[in-house]
Amino acid sequence: MTASTGQPHARKPEPLEFDKPRVSIATPEYRYDMQGEMPEAERVERAMKSFVKDFGRTAAIYMESCIHCGMCAEACHFYEVTKDPKYTPIWKLEPFKQAYKREYGPFAVIYRALNLKQKVTVEQLQEWQQLIYDSCTVCGRCSLMCPMGIDIASLVSQARHGMYAAGLIPHELWAVTERARLEGSPLGATPKVFKDRLEWLADDHEVEIPLDEPDADVLCAMSSIEIMKYPDSVVATARIMNHLGVRWTFRLDGYEATNFGLLSGNAAAQKLLTMKIIDAAVACGARTVILPECGHAYTALRWMGANMYGQPLPFRVMHIAEFLAEQVREGKLRLKRVAKSATFHDPCQVVRRGGAIEAPREVLKALGVELREMYPTKGTNWCCGGGGGVVANHRADELRYKTFKLKMEQIEETGAELPVTTCANCRQTFDDGQAHFKWDHKMHSLLELVADNLIEDES
Amino acid sequence: MDLLEFARGPALQWSISIFIAGVLWRLLGVFLLRSKKDLSEPRNPAAWKGLRLIALRSWPRREFLEGTAFGEVMGYAFHVGFLVSLFFFAPHVLFFADVARGLIGTDLRGLVGFGWPTLPNGIITLLSAISVAALLAVLVHRLVNPVKRLISNFDDYFSWFVTFAPLVTGMAAFAHLAGWPYERLLAYHLLSVELLLVWFPFGKLMHAFTIFAARGATGMLFERKGASL
Amino acid sequence: MSAPLVGELLRSRGVTRRDFMNFCTSTALLLGLPASMAPRFAAALEQARRPSVIWLPFQECTGCTESITRAHGATLESLIFEAISLDYQHTLQAAAGEAAERAREQAMRDNHGRYLLIVDGSVPTGNPGYSTIAGHDNRTMLEEAAAGAAAIIALGTCAAFGGIPGAAPNPTRAVPVGEIVKDKPIINVSGCPPIPVVITSVLVQYLTFGKLPDLDALGRPKAFYGQTIHDRCYRRPFYERGQFAESFDDAGAKAGWCLYKLGCRGPTTYNACATVKWNNGTSFPIEAGHGCIGCSEPGFWDKGGFYQPLSTGRWGDARTVGTAVGVGAALGIASAALARKRQRDAEGG
Repeated sequence: MTASTGQPHARKPEPLEFDKPRVSIATPEYRYDMQGEMPEAERVERAMKSFVKDFGRTAAIYMESCIHCGMCAEACHFYEVTKDPKYTPIWKLEPFKQAYKREYGPFAVIYRALNLKQKVTVEQLQEWQQLIYDSCTVCGRCSLMCPMGIDIASLVSQARHGMYAAGLIPHELWAVTERARLEGSPLGATPKVFKDRLEWLADDHEVEIPLDEPDADVLCAMSSIEIMKYPDSVVATARIMNHLGVRWTFRLDGYEATNFGLLSGNAAAQKLLTMKIIDAAVACGARTVILPECGHAYTALRWMGANMYGQPLPFRVMHIAEFLAEQVREGKLRLKRVAKSATFHDPCQVVRRGGAIEAPREVLKALGVELREMYPTKGTNWCCGGGGGVVANHRADELRYKTFKLKMEQIEETGAELPVTTCANCRQTFDDGQAHFKWDHKMHSLLELVADNLIEDES
Repeated sequence: MDLLEFARGPALQWSISIFIAGVLWRLLGVFLLRSKKDLSEPRNPAAWKGLRLIALRSWPRREFLEGTAFGEVMGYAFHVGFLVSLFFFAPHVLFFADVARGLIGTDLRGLVGFGWPTLPNGIITLLSAISVAALLAVLVHRLVNPVKRLISNFDDYFSWFVTFAPLVTGMAAFAHLAGWPYERLLAYHLLSVELLLVWFPFGKLMHAFTIFAARGATGMLFERKGASL
Repeated sequence: MSAPLVGELLRSRGVTRRDFMNFCTSTALLLGLPASMAPRFAAALEQARRPSVIWLPFQECTGCTESITRAHGATLESLIFEAISLDYQHTLQAAAGEAAERAREQAMRDNHGRYLLIVDGSVPTGNPGYSTIAGHDNRTMLEEAAAGAAAIIALGTCAAFGGIPGAAPNPTRAVPVGEIVKDKPIINVSGCPPIPVVITSVLVQYLTFGKLPDLDALGRPKAFYGQTIHDRCYRRPFYERGQFAESFDDAGAKAGWCLYKLGCRGPTTYNACATVKWNNGTSFPIEAGHGCIGCSEPGFWDKGGFYQPLSTGRWGDARTVGTAVGVGAALGIASAALARKRQRDAEGG
């Protein structure tokens, strides 16, 4: 691995502590992280080049459309809890808007000739690192608010490509992406580790877990967060698949659903990680790929996978919640009644951005809980604050805890006994928040709830 | 040639030409950019239905209303007043009819068989006054609100000015402001409109066109995914 | 020869003292002066020696003469003209040819520095042959006459602003009097033609006070050119209420509604037509159902069609728009092509 240093205080890279409950860094003090040894001018040049490559008609329309109304701030949880104008979503794009107008827009020639927009500087990019990575979970709430209809969240993802190319991304995101790229998992759930885990989980829980079947109808993926921290989810998946009589498998050549390439802005790594799952599915002839309880995994494969592949995917992609809802609808999944009140936290990438809005609710209905929607809910629900890589980035902890208060208030207002969600990263964020605030509410997994309440035909 | 003749003549020709050329330049310069095809399987294949976002986004969702109601209301107060004054005030209608006649050989009455009605001057005056008041309110807000102050630039303030000037000069001319020679007031009004036309393609006033493109693009993209509109 | 004083002349024509005083009062009022000025007018006119007036016609249509000298019966205006010593006027004078020229030269010599010069028509500065009198070109004649004049009245829009000959393309390079004569006081009495009472009031003012009336920025007497037709038009309430005639002789026109849509230039025209009216206060164009054409304003022939409303400018034509479309499209395509190329280069590198 090439070095990643924290600036402005140049120091040796901190070792990442992977064994802690969350990927940790010893001293996450205020810093601009930089990767690679290159002159500043080159960093800017790389950022701009990557940015020019990315840009298309839609992004250009968005860049032309902002009228500086500032209403996007009203939708952003980071602005909501700090009232600091620098967290205004479109402001996160400022250097890129500048670069767009200067390098790529219809009047670029005029802008350059009259120097109406300055060239983006490395200081600007360094300053913007925090805005783009620490205070944005790419949750898309701003995109729902914008009166001009700009999908601001998508622009942030594109901006991250430029930041990655410039070697200006948070240290933790760089490190876990490298790990994912080289080892197969950002959190150490290498194929060997995964295989080992599957063996002892199968043993411990007396459940069959097919691995590396040459031929299967369904390929299941898991997230490293579940593999390492919520292994019950792995068991739950196996239980349900077996219960439904599905011809399914895990595959060591393609099991990791998380995609830190997407989160960090490393487009090459994003493609590499996505292709693993696609190739594995093709290899075993799967007609359906089921993604685990993970948010950005859905975005990465369901909506971006085919474009990485260069052609339509030869299989269906479903989030596990969608799959469960389908099974419920088809009468194949009968569940015991859970006589509790519940409220559902909508993972941004699954619901608001992904379109699986009702699926989790169908499953909750089948579980017979008394569903009390929080406010706001569904498409406008507040983000947990940990998505988009933010929970891995320790520099952002303090800010994230502030936003977590919004979630605590929302859930407490409902008075529901069971907070439920269907994303392991949200779950991780809730667990961390719960620990930090010593909160008395625990977040539950929809998948595990279903697995725990299957009506088995045999007792 | 006096100021009024200049304003009604060469200034008008040039500003209209620059407006048309600039708008086309900017729109084509964006619409002809590369657009990658989305190969993912749509949840809703009829993505065109997402164009309804163009209408839907005209008012915020209830959840966002608290912090945005002021801006939305002021925005509409300005736009409605401005557009009504522009399109339903008799002397303006005459101008547009003349343009229509010049371009397509007949004014709209001849073409479609019915006239383009005008509103009584009293209503126009009232709506223009509301527009002016709304513009002043949003300027103050832009200067005072921390978010807007941070993100605002020359374009925001200049676009405000070139929008404000025609309204104010128009009202002054219409009122035959005491002590001022009418032809001078009229010339200032025309010149302010010409400044607006010349600036239009280059600043944020283009949102008059881009709003359809941006809302439309997002609407179709989100509809395709079944994502929340 | 010794001319009678104005007062004697009037009495000899049977003008009663009462009528005379009435005339002086109404003239005072027209000039915006208090009625108490009337006796002063009367006294001055009584004793006034008939001033010598030289009238030079250049590139004109004789319309101004027609207007000023139109006599509907024995009006006091026409009598005043008999009261002045009109020593040179092509239409009214009896003499012609060399005799007329010698009479003019004589009058100019006898009254050097004191005569009033009236000019109608514009002066060609192109080929001097365009307009000559007795072989003399207009410009030279004007310069000579102006040298000995006490003041000059540029009568009619041609003399004041260039008028018809000065309208595009102005083949004779016609100019107003004020372009040639720079060192004498000039009163522009514009109009095509001007209103009769305006000229007489200006004369009376001059005879009484020995100086020019207050003039506006274009050199026109403020008393008559200080307000727009629009501001004094009896149809103004219809303008305010948005009631317009859409075409000649339609219901609105018959109802006497505002003629703005039919091209009335009232709002930008300064003259006294709406108050003083024409033909002894009979009517004026708007009252007769036709919009004002702005005939007292400079360049009124070139300010767009008379039936085009004031708010329609000369915005261009289909060709202008077509050119703009072409230029815009070309630039748009070029900028997109350039951006795409940059993209391809970035991807290649």
